[in-house]
Amino acid sequence: MSAVWSAAWAAVRRRLLQTIVIGVVVCASTATIVMALGLLESAAAPFDRAFATQRGAHLAAAFDPAKTSDDQLRKAAGQTESAGPFAQSTLDTSTGEIFKGTLTVAGRADPGGPVDRLTIWEGRWATAPGEIVLNRAPGGNGRTNLGFQLTVPGRPTLTVVGFAHSVTGSADAWVTPEQVEALQPTVLQMLYRFPNAGTAAEVAEGQKSVTAGLPEGALLGTLSHLTVKDKATSELGVFIPFLLIFGVLGLVVAVLIVANVVSGAVVAGFRHIGMLKALGFTPGQVMAVYLVMVSIPAVAGCVLGTLAGNVFAKPIVQDAVEGFGVTELSFAPWVNAVALLGMPALVISAALVPAIRARRLPAAQAISAGTTAHSGRALRVQRWLSGTPLPRSVSLGLGLPFARLGRSALTLAAVVLGVMTVTLATGVTMSITAYNDAVRPSYADRVEVLAGGPPGLPVMRNPEMGEPPAAALSDADDEKMLRAVPGTAAVMAVSQLETEVAGGTQNATVLFYRGDVSALGPRVLTGHWPDGPGQVAVPSRFLNQRGLSVGDTITVQAKENRTQLKIVGVVLTNNEDQIFADWTALNVLAPGTRAHAYQVKFTPGTDRASFTAAIGKGDPGLRVLPPRDGSSSTAVIIISASVVLTLVLGAVAALGVFNTVVLNARERRRDLGMLKSIGMTPRQVTVLLSTSMGALGLVGGLVGMPVGVAVHQLLVPAMAHAGQADAVDILMDVYHAPALALLALAGVVIAVLGALVPARGAAHLSIATVLHNE
Amino acid sequence: MNNDVVVAITDLRKEYADSVALNGVSLTVRAGEAVAVMGPSGSGKSTLLNMIAGLDRPTSGSVVVHGTDLGSLDETGLALFRRRGIGMIFQFFNLLDDLSALDNVALAAQLTGTPASQARKRALELFGELGISNRRNIYPARLSGGERQRVAVARALMNRPALLLADEPTGALDSRSGEQVMDLLLDLNQIGQTLLLVTHDERLATRCASRVVEVVDGRIAREQSLERTS
Repeated sequence: MSAVWSAAWAAVRRRLLQTIVIGVVVCASTATIVMALGLLESAAAPFDRAFATQRGAHLAAAFDPAKTSDDQLRKAAGQTESAGPFAQSTLDTSTGEIFKGTLTVAGRADPGGPVDRLTIWEGRWATAPGEIVLNRAPGGNGRTNLGFQLTVPGRPTLTVVGFAHSVTGSADAWVTPEQVEALQPTVLQMLYRFPNAGTAAEVAEGQKSVTAGLPEGALLGTLSHLTVKDKATSELGVFIPFLLIFGVLGLVVAVLIVANVVSGAVVAGFRHIGMLKALGFTPGQVMAVYLVMVSIPAVAGCVLGTLAGNVFAKPIVQDAVEGFGVTELSFAPWVNAVALLGMPALVISAALVPAIRARRLPAAQAISAGTTAHSGRALRVQRWLSGTPLPRSVSLGLGLPFARLGRSALTLAAVVLGVMTVTLATGVTMSITAYNDAVRPSYADRVEVLAGGPPGLPVMRNPEMGEPPAAALSDADDEKMLRAVPGTAAVMAVSQLETEVAGGTQNATVLFYRGDVSALGPRVLTGHWPDGPGQVAVPSRFLNQRGLSVGDTITVQAKENRTQLKIVGVVLTNNEDQIFADWTALNVLAPGTRAHAYQVKFTPGTDRASFTAAIGKGDPGLRVLPPRDGSSSTAVIIISASVVLTLVLGAVAALGVFNTVVLNARERRRDLGMLKSIGMTPRQVTVLLSTSMGALGLVGGLVGMPVGVAVHQLLVPAMAHAGQADAVDILMDVYHAPALALLALAGVVIAVLGALVPARGAAHLSIATVLHNE
Repeated sequence: MNNDVVVAITDLRKEYADSVALNGVSLTVRAGEAVAVMGPSGSGKSTLLNMIAGLDRPTSGSVVVHGTDLGSLDETGLALFRRRGIGMIFQFFNLLDDLSALDNVALAAQLTGTPASQARKRALELFGELGISNRRNIYPARLSGGERQRVAVARALMNRPALLLADEPTGALDSRSGEQVMDLLLDLNQIGQTLLLVTHDERLATRCASRVVEVVDGRIAREQSLERTS
């Protein structure tokens, strides 16, 4: 064993507490970084890998066969890599044995080709009439298996012979080209790959080139691979900026605390350095001792942190990427490599400056050096404080940070970051909660009443719920009855239609509202609420994922009818596949359809049970739904992650304070012993040391709180953008004066909690031992 | 001499993990006495001083100072006892390096709740009595050894303790400074300050003490009353 190793190992054992602090801090920080990097990598990698393997379509386009022909489409595509045209039909399975929504079925002779090479992961390709292959991600489960017979009235019975996966989502199912003709195709599908398609502008340019020369109105709709990717990764994308910020915070806190610990170790070890040099250690060896001393806990913490990051991040990432059929998730090697190599490198970098100081320190100076620094500023501050009316233990504590400004600055920085983390996490939690309440209200002020099954959808029978709802009164009479129930404040009738939006497999539900929409309908963010037939309002995610904007027109197909709808407004809701329309539109699309549900708002103070009973008495066929659980899995995960990360980084910051107090108390053993010898009580010693950190905590709180608010204002829009939600005022305006005041005090809490244990330990130092061991 | 008992030690025993520091020590110090405790290194004399100052607790036996049984006090009680009941002088002065000489002395009074202005006033009086008024704003690092010990004495006297304890008060001083400190202690005792010294220095003992107690192997080997040399 080399002399350097022996000396370093001895130092590790002698400074066991600091060794543990370094290890824990590095472990927590590494775990946070691994989670953040792992999520970042996993968010894009499955889609990109599958897209590259399948030569996914950069653009899927739907054309009207009445206005263009196969030859025209092939000719327009020119030299561009393309597949198709594939005749495409829509199957409404709502009256089938198993409801699979509206299926987009394309006629393809084989799964290969230059674009959208399908992966058949179970069964085989459809080669004969009466056979169908369903689009399903590998490993996905469903109620249909091989051999299942899909029966739709008026159409041939189709037997499932295989499951394939199209990462582009070019269709829900495939049959032979001959078979699709029997399914009455209404669209011609073309799939394109462009030389450059990294941006929306490049995709648009490609679209322009492949549709040039086609008759006007031939193009019904398109679906860009960027939209598909955004949609596929949007839920996971919400986490990325959030976790990256926390990961970076963890990293910075770790570096600060390690720098603090190591520089403290050098200062506290002056005599040790002198002795090493006196024994014949070269300056380089002294530096090596200090670097090895820090590397031991850093490497151990890093390995444990990497393991913890892999273990804790995986369930979150697995949930998010299961849509790609990823059954066995493992982070890319670079994630763990960066953590395992980068973190110790950072720690050693932080240790380098004090280690170089140790290297340069002359032996004689090291051996005779005092243990505390006394700058002119520190002395002036102590003199001023001694004249104040503060209790002496408090005034002495307030002056303590000025004795070692460098250490105090590092500790202050850790506290600032800790408070910033708490402020940020609190803000994110409040934003998510407020947004969730807005888009998924718990409906505490209203009841939801079902009058029957949604039109066009099969009636779902649930034995536990008894008979399905079936209104006894007419739609008009039910609304009238509901308005007459004592306590009713507003009533809104709801109906819906399942539709297909032209371009790819884009199903959407059109919700039709009637009555007190302004009181009970979704909040309109831009534009206006639809006020006539042919108008719709949509969520911004609907626009983002389809590359649309207010004023654009979309083509939707409901049952056998195709119609064009103009987008007139953007509403706040989390479901990107919902379109909102006025009741007049329903009268055009499906005349005579009754409301299948009502929302009834009651006045404050109304007893929910009595109100519900009165509705049941008015129409026994109605069913009042129980109150909703307003939480979403994404919101729960983000809020949980906020809490966990706040606790981890808050604890890391408190560990920094803990370490500083340990160093201060060790350096000031003699002073503390003397103070006790002249009558300072253990409680006063605890107050002295806690005050020294509490002062830093107060400053840290006052600095960290506004910084946290500022980061929140930058981070939340990024999260909203990644999640394709609007950065509306609900998300941004969450901090209020009482909360800010409490957050500013978080620094004091972190500092005092970190200081308390070592301060109490110092308060019970043996005076006799301290004062007589000079 | 006043016959009031200031310190009454009975059958004191202090054990450490692998040794016995004090073994059945009994000692009485009366008000106005100056007692020097002497003995070789490791004999137990510093341990005895720690017990009287309430800095350490005995394994058995009792220490009563001014009628207070120190064994009955908890840590806070002992701190309050040290604050009011005793003053201590150490070999290495134990001044706070980041407080001026004046603030070091005033600190002892401030701990009792005395306002800073009053504490400084009392400290200035002591600086005058000890002849170091011109050093009041100097920090310990820039004081000579003798001056530091005088500041330490002033701090010890700040709360007018009934008992002044000194642990090798001249041990870290040159001979001239040592002489000055000896004179100071003698003067204090002559105006009625009860004094208990622990020292190796026979000259200090014979000059300042009225009685010498010799401790060997944790026991009192000899007690001797002295005629002071000055």
